[in-house]
Amino acid sequence: MDANRIKIVKTGIDEYVNVPINMQWDFTGRDEAISEYETTIIEEVIGQGTDFEISRFPQDIFADFTTAINYEFYFYDYLLPITANTIGNWGISYLNVGFTPQQVYYYAKPFTKSFFKLDLYNTPEDKNQQLYLSIILPVQQGDTQTVILSPQIGPIEIKKPKMILDYIGDKEGFFIYWLRKRDYIDIDKFYMTASFFDGRTGVFRQMTNTKQDLITPNKFTFDNSKYFYYRVDLDYNNKTYKVYSTSTNLRVGDSLTPIKFYEYVNP
Amino acid sequence: MTVDPTTRIILSTQRYKSAPRTDQFINIPFNQSTKDMVEYDRSVDLSLVAVFDQERQASTNFRPVTKFTILFENGISGSTKYVPYRDNLYYTNALENAKSYYYQGNQPSVPPAPTDQNIPWEGLPQYSEFDFIRTDNNVVGYTKPPNNHIAFKNVSATTYNWSHYLSYPYENVSNKSLFTVEPNTNITWSWVASNGIPYYIKKGATINSNEISFKCPMKHGLTAGEYVLLSVNYNGNQIFQVSSLGDAGSGSEEYIFNIRNVGFVGNTFATNSQGTFRRLINPSNSADTLSNYYIRRHKIVTSPDCAVLTNAGFERNIYGDKKKCEIKVLTPNQVKRTSVKEGSRAYTLSFNCDFNIRGLRDNQNRPLTQLFFTTIWRGYFGWTRNLKQGWDFNTFLQNKKPQTWWDQSNANSNVNISQSQYNSLALSGPFYYNNFLQSGDTIDGDFCEWNNFEQYERVISTYKHKIKFNQNWFTLASNTLSSTNQLGYFYQPHNPIQIAAFSDYIEEGSSENVVGIPDYAYYSTFMALFRWRDLYPYGFVDSDGIGVDYPYMNNSHYPFVDTIFRITPEDYNIPNEYSQSGKVPQNITQIDDPLIDGCE
Repeated sequence: MDANRIKIVKTGIDEYVNVPINMQWDFTGRDEAISEYETTIIEEVIGQGTDFEISRFPQDIFADFTTAINYEFYFYDYLLPITANTIGNWGISYLNVGFTPQQVYYYAKPFTKSFFKLDLYNTPEDKNQQLYLSIILPVQQGDTQTVILSPQIGPIEIKKPKMILDYIGDKEGFFIYWLRKRDYIDIDKFYMTASFFDGRTGVFRQMTNTKQDLITPNKFTFDNSKYFYYRVDLDYNNKTYKVYSTSTNLRVGDSLTPIKFYEYVNP
Repeated sequence: MTVDPTTRIILSTQRYKSAPRTDQFINIPFNQSTKDMVEYDRSVDLSLVAVFDQERQASTNFRPVTKFTILFENGISGSTKYVPYRDNLYYTNALENAKSYYYQGNQPSVPPAPTDQNIPWEGLPQYSEFDFIRTDNNVVGYTKPPNNHIAFKNVSATTYNWSHYLSYPYENVSNKSLFTVEPNTNITWSWVASNGIPYYIKKGATINSNEISFKCPMKHGLTAGEYVLLSVNYNGNQIFQVSSLGDAGSGSEEYIFNIRNVGFVGNTFATNSQGTFRRLINPSNSADTLSNYYIRRHKIVTSPDCAVLTNAGFERNIYGDKKKCEIKVLTPNQVKRTSVKEGSRAYTLSFNCDFNIRGLRDNQNRPLTQLFFTTIWRGYFGWTRNLKQGWDFNTFLQNKKPQTWWDQSNANSNVNISQSQYNSLALSGPFYYNNFLQSGDTIDGDFCEWNNFEQYERVISTYKHKIKFNQNWFTLASNTLSSTNQLGYFYQPHNPIQIAAFSDYIEEGSSENVVGIPDYAYYSTFMALFRWRDLYPYGFVDSDGIGVDYPYMNNSHYPFVDTIFRITPEDYNIPNEYSQSGKVPQNITQIDDPLIDGCE
């Protein structure tokens, strides 16, 4: 529009020409805005990426610079039936479970299919606890005890449920593999309970942290949160863990204070 | 937009005296722009693949993993009287040693036989002294009381012998003093890295020769038609064109280059004369096409606690374990045992900490495309002392002896890793070991060539460490070598893992007509253009196999690579056929598939 011929005639007063200039413009970066909005929407729909990477948490060193974690699993000797008034007898031996020396020595399938299962919960309260991870300790690990298979064969060594787990040697179950970061699940204390899967019968045997004999006032009716658990503290900075007694709050797991689990016996 | 109300429009005749009458115009640009919203913009489908790729390309987090396969030749024997060492050797002369040690005979049925404790026993350190994870935590008199060497801590099983880190090359060191030797002629070179590659003239300028033949102790990287800038000059001229490569020997083209003999006289090109050269692609553009030579220096980015070393399942190398039974009567401590000469386990190395490459640049100021698994000899058990550094060309023998480069008195071969010492629980000492590196420490790396025109870095010779025994505690078998320059073991500390890739083509353009020139592009003043190689996106692999496509999850890349870690005894790396014409020493680290074989 540049070819009009507007003639302005002198009138003695100021003249004005009102020119309506209608301008429309595009939003700068509209495409980028849409792309950004798209990203926002996608995040709303599918969420942000979560880091599920795990790290290896070994047991933290003790004051004497050892790192081995000591487990002792005691099984009840059913030769002495347990009652409310009797004193029971627990021993570190698979023979108490009912395995024969031959089954243990020759790694019979019922024995090798057995294992200890350590369950780590977020709380010791049964009613609202959640299981976060389980550690399996195979029976092929552990110290040995001497038995006699038969008069014709001399004393032989068979496995017993006393395990010393470390960086080398027996190490199955020594490391806890858990989330590297606390963004997804922020938890640094677990409560660990143990059970034994009996490969002969296919049932789990629950274990307590104290001999039932010592549980007062009633060895069969007690506070589960006190007698079934050890506490496991994770250190995310050093990527280590420590195990504590729930009753004394003292660290356990070294050779002097092993982590002891006793088979729970029903009345 | 409104018109300024103070604007006055004056009649043309009133503008000045005798002004002509003219028509007046107001040119008003009526620019209106509208843009229909594209249907696609309003109803874009959510593409998980696109989102995944978007996140993948944006991620700078890396969690590298490698599987180490150790190849170790336990080939350097010695002798020791130090009881914890002596009782744990892989004996090589047990019968003779026992004869001297039990000087009245050794009848197990009549213990104890009198012994001469001054008799050294000969043998090899067992494999556990070199293994990545020591498992000998239960050896009485060595790692377990009584009279043990040290109190073994299981937590340190992975760090007694070696320590592992992540590193990346971050700067170039051009003034590094280097040395090497030509194994056949024993010609030696001492030069500075920036001078380039050393050579000697294998066939000089004579009347009957059409070419002058140069031989290098490392791969020269030249192609026929390129030029060399020699350290010597002929009538002021230092630049000569390469006419051909190699001689009659197989593989010699990588080590020998020839220039045309146009009738040179004098001693400049006399046989056996020596010097250094730098590669030059185009003499008229030497500013861009002349290669630079340097040692690339690495920066450690992880602490030793970050490394997690585990057995790689049940994997073993193809050579298996080499072990034997040490018979009770042929041991100094009367204990029957199995001694291991060489092991075969494979290991997996990962890291507890993430590595973020955001903002990091490599030694050429480019985005990082390579990380390195850096493995350092620690030697806590004290068999060794004074770790040395050199390059692959330092591993050749000199007059059938270790190169003078490795002599204790040569400060140029010292590593910048501090040593500590201790006395053993058996009250002997001192025993030396190398301290851990920490994040931020620096360490030398490979000898490299960089050419601005090609935008390409070539590794000329890999960085090596030499492990030397502490002669006070383990004396090498009788030899004529200097006590300060004995045989040792070589290993390559830096093992690369590719985390991204540059294109095999070179882009070029000016900032006026090309958008998106990367900040690492090289500006050629000669051509007035930028030159660079594109950085391929993650997940893209071109038809030549260049590129990376590693798993991506947890907002992190998971690069992995199989690494062969060689611990090579000195004197084992010279092929027998070296003396054949044209054969050259080389330490083969991998065998590439031939692109074109000899039949084509």
